[in-house]
Amino acid sequence: MTRQFALPITVFVFSLLALPLLLSALWVKVVTSAVIFSLAAAGISVLFAQLGLINLAQVALIGLGGWVALRLNYGTAIPFTVIVFMAGTTTALIGAILALPALRMRGLYLALVTLMAAGAFQILFNAFQFPNGGSGFWGVAQQSAAEIRLPLLANSDVAYLRYTIVIVALCFCLVAMHRITAPGRAWAMIRQSEANAMAAGVNVTFYKIWAFVLSGFMAGVAGGLLSGALGQLDARSFLAADGILLFALAVVGGVYSWLGALIAGLLFKLLPAVFNNIGLSADLAMVLFGAALLHAIITAPRGIAGQLLVAFSRKSP
Amino acid sequence: MRFSANSFVAAIAYCFASLAMPALADDPSCGLGTEVMATGEPIKVGGINGNAPPGDFSGGTDAAAAYFSCVNAQGGVNGRPIEYIVENDQWNPELAGQVATKLVKDEGVVALVGNGSVVSMAVNADLYRDEGVMVMASGCAISECYESSNIVSSNQGPLPSGIGALTYAVEELGSEYAACIGFNIPNNGGWACDWMNKFMESKGLKGTSILMDPTAVDLNSVYLQALAEGVDTILLMLPAAPAIGLLKVAEEQGGRDLFKWVSPTPLYDPGVAEVLGDYWNDNLYINIELAPFGSEGADNKNWVAVMDAYGQDGDRRDTFSQSGYVSARFFVEALLKLDPNAIDRAAVTKAIQGISNAESDLLCKPYYVGDADRHMPNHAGRMVAYSGGAFNIVRDCYDIESSYLDPIRQQEAALGINQ
Amino acid sequence: MVYGLFFVSGLAVGSLYALGGIGLVILRNSTGVLNFSYGAIAAASAMFAWQVTEWGLPGIVSWLSAVLVGAALSIFYGRFVAPALAWREPAVKAVATLGYMLILLGLIGLIWDDALRKIALPSDKIGVSLFGVRVTLTRIIAFAVSIGAVVGMVQYLRRSHTGLNMRALADNRDHAALLGIAIVKTETLAWGISGALAGFTGLIFGSLVRLEPTVITFMVIPATAAAICGRLRSLPMTLAGGLFIGVVESMLTLYRPGASLRTMAPFVIAALVILWMQRDQQLTFATDS
Repeated sequence: MTRQFALPITVFVFSLLALPLLLSALWVKVVTSAVIFSLAAAGISVLFAQLGLINLAQVALIGLGGWVALRLNYGTAIPFTVIVFMAGTTTALIGAILALPALRMRGLYLALVTLMAAGAFQILFNAFQFPNGGSGFWGVAQQSAAEIRLPLLANSDVAYLRYTIVIVALCFCLVAMHRITAPGRAWAMIRQSEANAMAAGVNVTFYKIWAFVLSGFMAGVAGGLLSGALGQLDARSFLAADGILLFALAVVGGVYSWLGALIAGLLFKLLPAVFNNIGLSADLAMVLFGAALLHAIITAPRGIAGQLLVAFSRKSP
Repeated sequence: MRFSANSFVAAIAYCFASLAMPALADDPSCGLGTEVMATGEPIKVGGINGNAPPGDFSGGTDAAAAYFSCVNAQGGVNGRPIEYIVENDQWNPELAGQVATKLVKDEGVVALVGNGSVVSMAVNADLYRDEGVMVMASGCAISECYESSNIVSSNQGPLPSGIGALTYAVEELGSEYAACIGFNIPNNGGWACDWMNKFMESKGLKGTSILMDPTAVDLNSVYLQALAEGVDTILLMLPAAPAIGLLKVAEEQGGRDLFKWVSPTPLYDPGVAEVLGDYWNDNLYINIELAPFGSEGADNKNWVAVMDAYGQDGDRRDTFSQSGYVSARFFVEALLKLDPNAIDRAAVTKAIQGISNAESDLLCKPYYVGDADRHMPNHAGRMVAYSGGAFNIVRDCYDIESSYLDPIRQQEAALGINQ
Repeated sequence: MVYGLFFVSGLAVGSLYALGGIGLVILRNSTGVLNFSYGAIAAASAMFAWQVTEWGLPGIVSWLSAVLVGAALSIFYGRFVAPALAWREPAVKAVATLGYMLILLGLIGLIWDDALRKIALPSDKIGVSLFGVRVTLTRIIAFAVSIGAVVGMVQYLRRSHTGLNMRALADNRDHAALLGIAIVKTETLAWGISGALAGFTGLIFGSLVRLEPTVITFMVIPATAAAICGRLRSLPMTLAGGLFIGVVESMLTLYRPGASLRTMAPFVIAALVILWMQRDQQLTFATDS
């Protein structure tokens, strides 16, 4: 039991205390983004690992969370942390709406419903843009963006990285809690057979929607955190194709553990930055990235995290 | 009246330039011009370009890199070479924030020069201000470039160039109702088209914005929308590729004679002639922000010489390239006035802010920076007509009228230039 | 009159969506793979065709080269990559094609830098006027080919022997293998046909819309919407879906508040179609189709 917690706690303590001191300003920013996207990837994993449901709209939901966070940031005086939480809850509600068609389907068709949703969000973001300090419901002025408020304790990049790590760790705990309590058991039964689960008295509809709510909440919190990390958001960051890519990377990282989500975030944000920093041309980086993606999907069905954890448990008997 | 004053300024600029650069046209002249390789401690200068779809904005940094190599080969900055670090933000806002942080915080550059990235300016304007670093940009198309204390661009951007094009359309082509077709991006198409409409209103005429989704596939509908609006003039507030797409649709629909077609600078590109063909001869008017590529001005010829001698294969030779050359030249001239051993960010920022009345035949009017909350030194351009695969000047240097420039004119009055 | 204008314009765009959708459905039917790299294959073919004209070869060669490059790129993936994923769930197969898309997009960027390009087809100059819109021969060809592809494929699947094999494969891969159907050969054929269509779509798209690799690559998403209208199965419904989406998108231009949202048409229509398809199913028990 204690060993099970050893690795996550070590990683958490190290990344909270030591990591920000070891990184230069560039990598502080990169790692902040990577950690934020890990959170969103964890949301994808919940749906895919627990229920076999595919969500290609997670990046769009991050955008939605970011939109809500920016709107509240400009429009109200609510503290930043509360805003992040509200962005999460709002996105969770939208996630629940996405869940309605999911009650009747899974597999490729559900994936396509979420892809269509992601496509629609992409257009919406393009049409209405992200709030930049303007007035009205949409909060967009045809001008340069105004500044946003950040959390009081996290005004520098380093402090914001720590702030992000704490919030993301809390959300990971939330997922872990779900896995080992009633929802986790219910999801496992639903995955085996919906009919059996229902016969055993599991409220199938409720627990399926609940999984989407949890996943959406994490996307929304990620969006809120991203708005603070970048200061402003851009429609080009939330393309439908990125939603497919994040799902692919969540699978590559491994959907069965928190480590997989972390790896997915690092692959999504850290790897391109590394490629860029060593001066690899963006085109060549894309080729390598695509090849690595194909290779990982083909050779590691349980993801990189699955392989790492197996190696880890072998080493420490 | 204004016209002749401008020619006078241009003539003076020409004389100054030829005095400053007695070298032959194909012999580049940069900085001290001493033909001694600089060997001292390098001065770190940064540059950020955006080179990925939807466009290659690397012309500015390419030209700045060539100019700095030339400076380093000709004595450097009083013996100290410039180490130019260029990053590509790939039009990705997140990456833009990261590379700027790297340059400004990790590398500790004294300034950024030749920047040609649209995304980076929006994301990083606050960073530049907070870190007290100046950006002498060369390829800007969004409001942040012209409304920030620490960014000054030597290109005009869509607003002045678009108004310049409209001015010509109204005065020479008789436009009364113009549609501004732009991207639906608040600090780009939205911002620029808003000011186009204000300009038309200020003339007692009508203007309307047709803002399109940058990822839109169907340009036909955009064209038909303009047709349905009943406008008489179309202003293409777009990057070159979608603008060409729209012109193709118009060609297909026989739209050449239904509208007057004007555009800001993006369509003034060496590659355009090959793609447009003969259909648009004498029916497409483009405002250009800097001197024509083939101009006989001394500085323009030196730009070509620098690019020939120090440029890389595949460097773009477009408006951004000229603009990058101008930024780099004025930057080096400002540095040369400093004590080479006391060059740090604070001193460089002050030196850049001190640039005033700098002349180049690439620009219609003198360049300046000053200590202000916004900068737009270049707002006078020329108009060219597309004809037979070439561009002919139809109106030489002229300034624009817009209330947008009110704060700019105040700065100019305070500095005593452009009066 | 104005409506006619936008209607005709919408059909032209719709036939491009339909062409993309048809290629996706043909492949999905016989191999079970939804190919997200379809757009990238189209982009690569279009760029290659442009290169061929740059070399000074006649137009017909460049047309053919686009189709051949499309088929070759598609067969390459189908022959060497797809078999490794044959037994994974359909969604993972679909997501894997994204890796191929990134590779192709990167290679295109390495080979051809960003520049202004266009493919001028001889058929651009010829046209007829319909409801006040000039319709070029290129657009008519795109329209005719999409209808021709549907009719041809439906007949082919129905009457020919290989077509029968494809249908068998689509119904049940394991049973088809038991019956002794040459799976690899049949699948390769499907990849080839789909790729050839991608090449043709890319060429027409590059000529009619923009010869920009990324724009052509991401066309796969609205094309998927058209395919969904055909339930990823029916070619005639895909054609109808694509055309319908195109017309709705174009007509929305007339309604000013909707103008900026008109590109949402593919997604909204496709989502409605999926929901409609599921209407008879039990509320709680999810299925894979």
